Amino acid sequence: MRLINKTILYYLLISFPLLIIAGYFSYFLIKSELRDGADESLVKEKSNAIQLINSFKEPHNVNLSFDSLSNIQVVKNGEVGEIYFDTSIYDIGEQEFTPYRILKSHYSFNNNNYLITVAKTTLEEDELMEGLFSAFGIIIVFLVFAFFMANWLLSKTLWKPFHNTLSELNTYDIKKHDPHKFEPVATTEFNQLNIALNKMTEKIYSDFLQQKEFTENASHEMQTPLAIVKANLSLLMQSSNLKEEEMNQLQTIENTLKKLSALNKSLILLTKIENNQFRENVTINLNEVIAKALDNYSDLIQAKNIQIETDLKSDLKIEMNPILADILLSNLLQNAIRHNNADGKIVVSIKEKELSISNSGEPLSVSKEDLFVRFKKNDASKDSLGLGLSIVKSITDTYNYAIAYNYNNSLHTFIIHFS
Amino acid sequence: MKILLIEDEPELRKSIKQYLHQEGYLVESASDFTKGSEKAGVYDYDCILVDITLPKGSGLDIVKQLKQNNSKAGIIIISAKNSSDDKITGLDLGADDYLAKPFDLAELNSRIKALIRRRNFDGNKAIVVNEITIIPEERTVKVNNEQVLLTAKEYDMLLFFISNKNRVVSKNTIAEHLWGDESDQMDSHDFIYVHLRNLRKKLADKGCTDYVQTIYGIGYNFKVS
Repeated sequence: MRLINKTILYYLLISFPLLIIAGYFSYFLIKSELRDGADESLVKEKSNAIQLINSFKEPHNVNLSFDSLSNIQVVKNGEVGEIYFDTSIYDIGEQEFTPYRILKSHYSFNNNNYLITVAKTTLEEDELMEGLFSAFGIIIVFLVFAFFMANWLLSKTLWKPFHNTLSELNTYDIKKHDPHKFEPVATTEFNQLNIALNKMTEKIYSDFLQQKEFTENASHEMQTPLAIVKANLSLLMQSSNLKEEEMNQLQTIENTLKKLSALNKSLILLTKIENNQFRENVTINLNEVIAKALDNYSDLIQAKNIQIETDLKSDLKIEMNPILADILLSNLLQNAIRHNNADGKIVVSIKEKELSISNSGEPLSVSKEDLFVRFKKNDASKDSLGLGLSIVKSITDTYNYAIAYNYNNSLHTFIIHFS
Repeated sequence: MKILLIEDEPELRKSIKQYLHQEGYLVESASDFTKGSEKAGVYDYDCILVDITLPKGSGLDIVKQLKQNNSKAGIIIISAKNSSDDKITGLDLGADDYLAKPFDLAELNSRIKALIRRRNFDGNKAIVVNEITIIPEERTVKVNNEQVLLTAKEYDMLLFFISNKNRVVSKNTIAEHLWGDESDQMDSHDFIYVHLRNLRKKLADKGCTDYVQTIYGIGYNFKVS
């Protein structure tokens, strides 16, 4: 929900109880005003009745109204004083009880006692309530309307700098960093926001540069010592008087060194992909990339006697960096070969925008969720670096391709949706 | 054959020098950009090995300088930056080859030999080792003047052995030479053995001596006396 709508909703929520309280007081105020008005006119009618009595020659009863509620009665006992009260009387004409305000007053004239009763219909309570409800209803409708008009106007004017900042943020690309991307605005809060964002992006950008630099440095700094070890190992191997055990040790050192170089290379690659350093995209025919990868690995595939089944009905053309496309397919295929059984099979298929690579093999020993996590690997494959699928994931993430894994009928399947 | 090695890391310089010296090359070296650029400008070399990241400058500028002076030397870039950008830039500037660190000395040796062979237009194009004759331009192999039909991998393996004859080459080095980066992820060297077995058989069928010695635990040695 938009902030402004939320604000309005809260305003309305607060307005409701306030309106109810206001309605409650209005009800009593109006009611007492109405009674005062009714009493005043009753007093007036009473004086009229007294004037009438004063003109009497003989005492007698008089009806003052058609419904004979207002009347003058001759009474015996000579009480004094008067009393106001409310009552409801059934009105035959309207077939309902009608509220009345009544004044009974005693009066003496020429030693005769009279009881003067004057009555006046008052406003019915439900009518009063009805009136109040419609008045307050109209007020609420006006409030809602006014709030929404205000919303519209405010979001058009007041919130404009905020929306500008938001769209700038959405298009922010660290590689095209502009230190003054978020321009000063007149509203203090939004101006503060823009200043803070400029500072933050500046910091992120400098961290990004440092990390990039670190990757390059790490690459250089580690590869050179590795090259020295490797070179000296080659020289040592040429020695003619090595014992069998020493040769085994040399082999162990060489294998470990190879693994270390591969690890270093993969980590640098991973960082490069995550830093978006492969940017130039071209149109790539994925079918050709697959054919090339299958050819590259034909020796490995033959060594394990793996059957390849391909189902490449249509050409899948995508916009991608060619190096990343090669790495993506190579890694998936390597994975399918390494985790395959001897005499197993690999199925590669392309359907419209979808590529799937399946291989036979034992069920996973790690959880499905950990499959793409760095250095999480299946126990069975000691030689694996545990980075191949992380690289695959970081490539698909770069291009927002969806990648899914499933295991059905002894087949591990990776599906990439290119869209 | 004269080789100039421009590399700032003393230990690496020493090992490369030693290995190439054993191969019979005359190796001179330079430890930074200024010295490298000076030597490359003054003397003639058959091959120049240059690192990109050097103190006082970039190895790529030495490549530029050599090309401006129409140098006939073959140029191999050896760099720790295994980035495709550097590789493309280097080759565009006129370098003949690019080798990423860490590389194997046997690999470097075979690249130097291939480069010198390509550049040596007037010389003998065939490589002859006793009864084996290789014509690299045609990728053909003859034993006792009889052609041996080899697969691409078998041919590459034989050429690699002969380039590093009388040297112990490890199985990892052979795998890396034949399969490049893909060998990083390989589980076993069994299939090297398969290719080698086929190569040996094809050569033996034509009456060739088996020169390939198995060095227990490490690899092989193509031994020619």
